[in-house]
Amino acid sequence: MTRGPGEVVVTGVGLAVPEAGTPEALLRRTACPVTGPAPEPFDTAARIGRRGHRYKDRATRLALCAALEALRNAGLIPSDGEEVTVPGDTIGVVASSNLGNLDTACLTAAAIAERSAVDLSPMSLPNASSNVIASWVAIRHGLRGPNLMLCNGATSGLDAVHWGATLVAAGRVRRAVVIGVETHNAVVEDLLGRSAGELLDGAAAIVVEGARWAEARGARAVAALGPYERRAGLGGCVEALLPDGAAPGVWFTPERYAEGPAGAVPVPGAVPRYDVTDAVGRASGALGVLQCAAAVGWLARAGAGAGADPEAAAGAGAGAGAGAGSAFGAAGPGAAPDPVPAFRQALITSGDDTADAVAGLLLRPTPDRRPPHPARAPLISMECSR
Amino acid sequence: MSQLVTGAGAVASVGDGVDEVFRALCAGTSGLGELRGFDRERYRTRHAYEIDDRPAPGTDLPGRATDWLLRAVGEAAAQAGLGEDLSEVPVLIGTGLRELRSAELAWRDGTPFDIGRLHFGTALRERFGAVRTHTFSGACSASLYALALAADLLATGAEDTVVVAGVDTLTESMYGLLDRVNSEPPDRVRPFDRDRRGVLMGDGAAAVVLRREEPGAEGRALGRVRAVSMNCDANHVTAPDPQGIARAVYEAQWRADVKPGDIDLVLLHGTGTQLNDAAEAAAIAEVFGREVSGPLMTAIKCMTGHTSGGSGLLSLIVALESLASGRVPPTLGLAEPLPEAEAFRFVREEAREDGDLRVAQIDAFGFGGVNAVAIVERAGR
Repeated sequence: MTRGPGEVVVTGVGLAVPEAGTPEALLRRTACPVTGPAPEPFDTAARIGRRGHRYKDRATRLALCAALEALRNAGLIPSDGEEVTVPGDTIGVVASSNLGNLDTACLTAAAIAERSAVDLSPMSLPNASSNVIASWVAIRHGLRGPNLMLCNGATSGLDAVHWGATLVAAGRVRRAVVIGVETHNAVVEDLLGRSAGELLDGAAAIVVEGARWAEARGARAVAALGPYERRAGLGGCVEALLPDGAAPGVWFTPERYAEGPAGAVPVPGAVPRYDVTDAVGRASGALGVLQCAAAVGWLARAGAGAGADPEAAAGAGAGAGAGAGSAFGAAGPGAAPDPVPAFRQALITSGDDTADAVAGLLLRPTPDRRPPHPARAPLISMECSR
Repeated sequence: MSQLVTGAGAVASVGDGVDEVFRALCAGTSGLGELRGFDRERYRTRHAYEIDDRPAPGTDLPGRATDWLLRAVGEAAAQAGLGEDLSEVPVLIGTGLRELRSAELAWRDGTPFDIGRLHFGTALRERFGAVRTHTFSGACSASLYALALAADLLATGAEDTVVVAGVDTLTESMYGLLDRVNSEPPDRVRPFDRDRRGVLMGDGAAAVVLRREEPGAEGRALGRVRAVSMNCDANHVTAPDPQGIARAVYEAQWRADVKPGDIDLVLLHGTGTQLNDAAEAAAIAEVFGREVSGPLMTAIKCMTGHTSGGSGLLSLIVALESLASGRVPPTLGLAEPLPEAEAFRFVREEAREDGDLRVAQIDAFGFGGVNAVAIVERAGR
């Protein structure tokens, strides 16, 4: 199996999603989706202002909001500033969006057919290139490391997290901000055949960082990245990450995953499962990053002493420990130095058996979070009254 | 740590397959033509470097970029002995515009197109069984960025073999917006000429198979990738920054452990725009210093047009062919170099024979200030 890039941790999370300002809040909304009128769209001006953003598309502005929050949360930007406090070439950018600039491409093509290219606004030129989102994040904060834009379908967000970690593991940069963003508009709704209310208008970002670089600047890690896999189907992907049916502490399922008969579902039934798209809408290329943000919320809530669901933890504990030991405890480059039992880990999967592939990632508690907290009641009973 | 290129594939306006493309470029054949797939009356610019595979003039089809990508990957995989089964091999695709042309046709004209095919994973799975596919939409340096990531996967021991590809086709939105911003419509791409008027887009795909070095493998290799740099200017959303470019060139040479004097050939990005060519020439002049008149230099976009995200890898394949054969394609349309490039030893008018070329540099820069520079060397040295 592919080993996760060793010693890469999450040091910051940022969200630009209506009514889910923190990982914990996103997890809460996921666990207890709110019914009723749709929330007001996320106000980007409240976070990044209006000046200088007039010609940026909605996806870019949402991405800037999430990236700023994640960089601040990671302690790389002071709470009252916008400049990074480390050299800009130590930070890479990886953005993921499938639909971000579809409107510019299609509306421009239509405008040409109706009139001519002479009548176009030259200010649209940057938005015709799909990497405009990643570019603006770099420009805004002076991030001169590698600058990647993933447009990779249903798995794109999780793939982006993987590439951020790969840049760090390969020594290209010490840290990278990974952003997933999607929005909706007439073009997107038409091409997807879905209404605005079904679709995400928002962004999530995480900062992935080499553990030693985080430690060197005194930053607190909120999660550690485990292995990543991209496989032909959900079953194969989960098996590769958690051999022998080991039960994770929580499962962030693919978008609108419909459970088949028990034997066909690759994760034991006792494991709590969450679909973040229940809370924020169908998320396409943003999904994997949103899932990571929610998983950080789960790790914070669960503490290290118990899973979110004590029943699942108790049921899976012994077997999972052995499985995790053989899978992750082996020595070698990239291997985690200290195996974490499966039931303490969050399993994240994007893409289902109808997609070109399924991507999966394990997020784990960091060593300094491991001293056991008292076991908590399941999240649902604890939080839904809020 | 270097890697071996064990297979290559290419499709462009000038030819189909690496041999045909390289022969055409060395013969000074240009793929320039009048605009084929768009309504010419809507633009001041009337030319492009298109692959002539549409059913009839003025009509357009979805999925053309995907078809070329599959052909280029197929050619590279076959040459490397991988056959048609890429189920265990990562495939990294660099593209500027994905299948956005198909989306334009779908939304505006109602042409049937599955939006799940904006990226290339589905088609690569159908044809090659590939599942570890990643579509990077990184503007005009995307395929060299993908090469850098592939080199990292091999260098860290995560993989033994990676397929790297690049592809792009003209979108009407990008062609139209470039038409809008050009002060005078270009009728051809004239890299580094004082009278250059701007860029024209081109169709094309390129692919290579990259393998970890191992004893005995070199004999079959087309060449070796010594290093690839990648960075971002973080300066302007469309205009290049000479400082960012210079950093990328310097870093590539540093990673490859070569000095400017070791480089025999430079495949310049050379888009024929005012800004790129001036910035690139200034950066090359700065990094190469007194050695700037040493290497041969050429820019193939004069014959292929700007093949966007695929262009860097296409240049890299041409560079490997040049190192192997000693033949370097000319930069057509270069009458008088711009001041910053006066000292450059351009190959002009016709291909040049030079038997002892060992090390080449390939430049690729894109919107958003994304820069990537590769250093390659001849195999069997």
